[in-house]
Amino acid sequence: MTAATEAKADPSVTGPATAGTELMTYREALRLAMRQEMQRDPSVFVMGEEVGVFDGSYKVTAGLLDEFGPDRVRDTPISEEGFVGAGVGAAMLGERPIVEIMTLNFLLVAMDQVVNHAAKIGAMFGGEVRCPLVIRTPNGAGNQLTAQHSQSFDAWFAGTPGLKVVSPASPADAKGLLKAAIRDDDPVLVIENLPIYKEKGEVDVDPELVTPIGLAAVAREGSDLTLVTHSFATVRALKVADQLEAEKGVSVEVVDLRSLRPLDVETVAASVAKTNRALCIEEGWPTYGVTAELAARIQLACFDDLDAPVERLGMAEVPLPYAKELELAAMPTEERIAAAILRTLDLAP
Amino acid sequence: MSTTLTAAPPTGLLDLYGEMVLIRRFEEAAERQYKAARIGGYCHLSSGQEAATVGTVAAMQPDDLLVTGYRCHGFALARGVSPEAVMAELFGRRDGCAHGRGGSMHLLDVSRGYYGGWGIVGGQLPIATGMALSLVRRGAPQAVLCELGDGAVNMGAWHESLNLAAVWNLPVVFLVINNQYGMGTSVERASAEPDLFKRAGAYRMTGERVDGDDLEAVIESAGRLLAAAREERKPAVLEAITYRHRGHSVADAGLAYRTREEIEERKLADPIERTKALLRERGVGDEQLVAADAEAEAAVERSIAFAESDPAPDVDRLAAGMYAPGSGGQFERMMPGSPLGERELVFSGGLGE
Amino acid sequence: MPRLSDSMEEGTILTWLKQVGEEVAVGDELVEIETDKANMAYEADVAGTLTEILAQEGETLEIGAPIAVVGDANGAQAPRAPAAEDAPPSAAADLKAPIGDLKSAAPEGAAASEAGERIKASPVARRLAKEHGIDLATLTGSGPGGRIVKKDVKAAGKDATVPAATAPQAAGLPPSTQQVEGGRPAATADATGRTPSAATETAKGETQVEGLSKLQEVIARRMAESKATAPHFYLEATVDMSAAVAGRARLKAATPEGEVVPSFNDMVVKACALALKEFPRANGAYRDGRFELYSRVNVGVAVAAQDALVVPTVFDADKKGLSQIAQDARAVAAKVRDGSITPPELSGGTFTVSNLGMFGIRNFGAVINPPQAAILAVGAIEERPVARDGSLAIAQLMDVTLACDHRILYGADAAEFLARIRALLEEPLSLAL
Repeated sequence: MTAATEAKADPSVTGPATAGTELMTYREALRLAMRQEMQRDPSVFVMGEEVGVFDGSYKVTAGLLDEFGPDRVRDTPISEEGFVGAGVGAAMLGERPIVEIMTLNFLLVAMDQVVNHAAKIGAMFGGEVRCPLVIRTPNGAGNQLTAQHSQSFDAWFAGTPGLKVVSPASPADAKGLLKAAIRDDDPVLVIENLPIYKEKGEVDVDPELVTPIGLAAVAREGSDLTLVTHSFATVRALKVADQLEAEKGVSVEVVDLRSLRPLDVETVAASVAKTNRALCIEEGWPTYGVTAELAARIQLACFDDLDAPVERLGMAEVPLPYAKELELAAMPTEERIAAAILRTLDLAP
Repeated sequence: MSTTLTAAPPTGLLDLYGEMVLIRRFEEAAERQYKAARIGGYCHLSSGQEAATVGTVAAMQPDDLLVTGYRCHGFALARGVSPEAVMAELFGRRDGCAHGRGGSMHLLDVSRGYYGGWGIVGGQLPIATGMALSLVRRGAPQAVLCELGDGAVNMGAWHESLNLAAVWNLPVVFLVINNQYGMGTSVERASAEPDLFKRAGAYRMTGERVDGDDLEAVIESAGRLLAAAREERKPAVLEAITYRHRGHSVADAGLAYRTREEIEERKLADPIERTKALLRERGVGDEQLVAADAEAEAAVERSIAFAESDPAPDVDRLAAGMYAPGSGGQFERMMPGSPLGERELVFSGGLGE
Repeated sequence: MPRLSDSMEEGTILTWLKQVGEEVAVGDELVEIETDKANMAYEADVAGTLTEILAQEGETLEIGAPIAVVGDANGAQAPRAPAAEDAPPSAAADLKAPIGDLKSAAPEGAAASEAGERIKASPVARRLAKEHGIDLATLTGSGPGGRIVKKDVKAAGKDATVPAATAPQAAGLPPSTQQVEGGRPAATADATGRTPSAATETAKGETQVEGLSKLQEVIARRMAESKATAPHFYLEATVDMSAAVAGRARLKAATPEGEVVPSFNDMVVKACALALKEFPRANGAYRDGRFELYSRVNVGVAVAAQDALVVPTVFDADKKGLSQIAQDARAVAAKVRDGSITPPELSGGTFTVSNLGMFGIRNFGAVINPPQAAILAVGAIEERPVARDGSLAIAQLMDVTLACDHRILYGADAAEFLARIRALLEEPLSLAL
């Protein structure tokens, strides 16, 4: 099977609804994954601010406290460095903590525990001890949350050896990848997204169905251009691709990365070999970002297949301002994506 | 080698004396080996702190857990890690306790409940707290001894960890080895509350101070606080006052911020000498002390011989240990377009082994 | 010298704190050493007598170098601290192995780099063009900045009537002109000018497809570029080499066995060099809308190499004597034949001489070596009847054809230049200047 068909064969991505699937939101899919894993394995527990009594600041953990009790759904004080580190320690003893960080912006105060501790344990201690920790947190912007609350530092973590980083774009993958992360014996950062929480999709509820880490998916087939995206950028890209096909007859292929580390370059390269053009999109800042890494790998893996330089699109490189007009101008909105697609195809006015 | 704390029979104390001397001789040897460029990186010695080290570890139960900072040779040896495994790790050899991948600051021995050996000041506190959390979740009658230095009490991690331990009633004793100096800055210059044990009060946590050079006092305090943690889930702070004879690390002469007079004066109160005197009081003969000294020397010599002959880790396994066994498959599709050397050094370098 | 910090590589002795003959106890401060970070006192780790100081105050030594001897007073040495000879190997050396050879390929790259403008084409367009034998120089790019993109190549491939690259016909081109490609047969091409890409049975029998060596690729590209960008015009002259022939015979007789006698081609090279000094434009180049004039006169001599043609350079040919030119020309020709010619020797030329006389070619027109202004094609010296002052005589005649880039040379100046060459050759003593 080629890379593309292998990715497509994964039913959690594009398969038709079967008896075991339900239509649900991305946040419901995350909740389902946690419930199933907590039922399956007593060492799985949830820790974070407002995850219990408050039902979760974004309602992802709603109902879990009632079902599993306060020992397994723990409200923490506001002390990210403290409770992320606690998650590291518990994981080292064989527990499988799921640490919820309210947004990726707040993971900064715990960077030392994530990068200097969790990511180093396996290598630094010669493989003697593992750290099967999951940190889940949404990135993304919109709703005028302003500079400190609108960042997407995916690249900072995806660039750290010793970590694994996944970023599902669909409810099916939210369930599949969070399960994979929980079952994985290494520290996994699951990057969700604020606007994506309400997106709906078919989810196979089979408790044993897990999305493999390190495998991208061709979310939409096309022939003129490959869009490489993850997280909410995938959602936007799919909408724009349908629109442009109808309006301008361009045929755009969308590769949804799903995992950032490990990164499935094979699927991306197979797609670019077919379409000969690539546009990489992310929610964060492109300079030194995820799209920078993609562009470097694509130019190397697909050098003789490129009909144009690899383009990138992301958040404008400014701390995001408050005013709605300014925010929209800076974000990688559907309008900016459409314009970027046409530009990459040399069809721009 | 831990002993129950209440009645320490002379043989028990003699064993502990032997451990203290082993640590002293080991640290001296480590310093020589470092200056001969056999040991690289940073090398933080605990000479002068032997009573606080050996006493607190002696007060632990065999299945209690130990977490320390980077001045950890003494703690590893006291907890029973062989001098061979420690010296080989310092030399960066394959059979070091971290297989040559951690070095002086990252010793560990999971089979003895010693979970490192951490290099970021204060970074080990949240981890120790999380381990205590895990013990509570399992209902295990165990406690965590978390060692830190006087410099770490001003890190945010101290505050967050103590708060968490107190609010969740976690079985962890935070052992502050107060050797008067955080690297080159005295406690008075760094800490608004230099009576470090008092800071526990901010969390309504027990805080005690003990003379860290008085072996029996250390055993008593640590034992009592660990029991309270283990049985009543009461966390505590134990501040052990001691002194380090050498600089912050081998690369520090320790004279920029201390006077020679001060060092010499403190050396007169050498905990090893104090313990020797204590043993003589208890009727231990000189031959036994001399034998213990000789055994310590011999053990250190053996450890050096072992480390010298142990092979270096395999360069073809650069990436071994980084990810859990079996992870290699997840990374296969990342290979195209990777930077030069990535394939050979990482993907084929033991990734997922 | 002890290693006193993780980054220390050498230390300077500042002050000896003990004298020779003094007792030393373990822990005594022995010497003050300056390191990269700070001054530190080194404490003795052996006891005994300081019997010898090997490093003086102010001396800087690498770690591990002996600095003193401590033993007992009778001279026996106390066991020394382990020396630092087996310091960990430098990490940098080990990294080179797996990363692989980063040296750039193609030593003849220097010859190629002197070419005219690089054609803008996307990587996939280049690949497809190469696979289908389409010359990028014949395409117009529809991409940004005139970049040739995939669809341009695909369109060219579909068009069955696209002719092979044609050179603009310059005025006065004699019908017997051929393009020079050394001894290599012309590439087989079908009616549309493309070489077939698959081995198939056709009307021409079985087709054998040969790939090009890097050098052949470069030649193909440069010659096509030259003809496509430089408007060639040709001037012919017939040189009476009788005096030169006679002169050379005398020279040969007078030259000891084994020593090099300048050939006729060497004389042509020298004649051109002297003339180039007087006609700077002929020694120059048209580049990017400007004339470039060079102060050195470097004449390239075309030499047939392994199934290809290369042009090694005789530098400063105007300043060299004829015998020096002869030696240089022979030396580089030998290097070309045994494959040891280097890129610098193949570049820097300001003019080229190409001689097919040894094959019996009477005259021909050569393709200019870009970005030079001109190239002189030299034919065979033949004994021919000639008319002189109304009577028939026999003379040794040699036809030469000067091909010129019409963007920098015009008819009259080129003609004068060629006339000068002819004059110098017809009066060979002038070549001794």
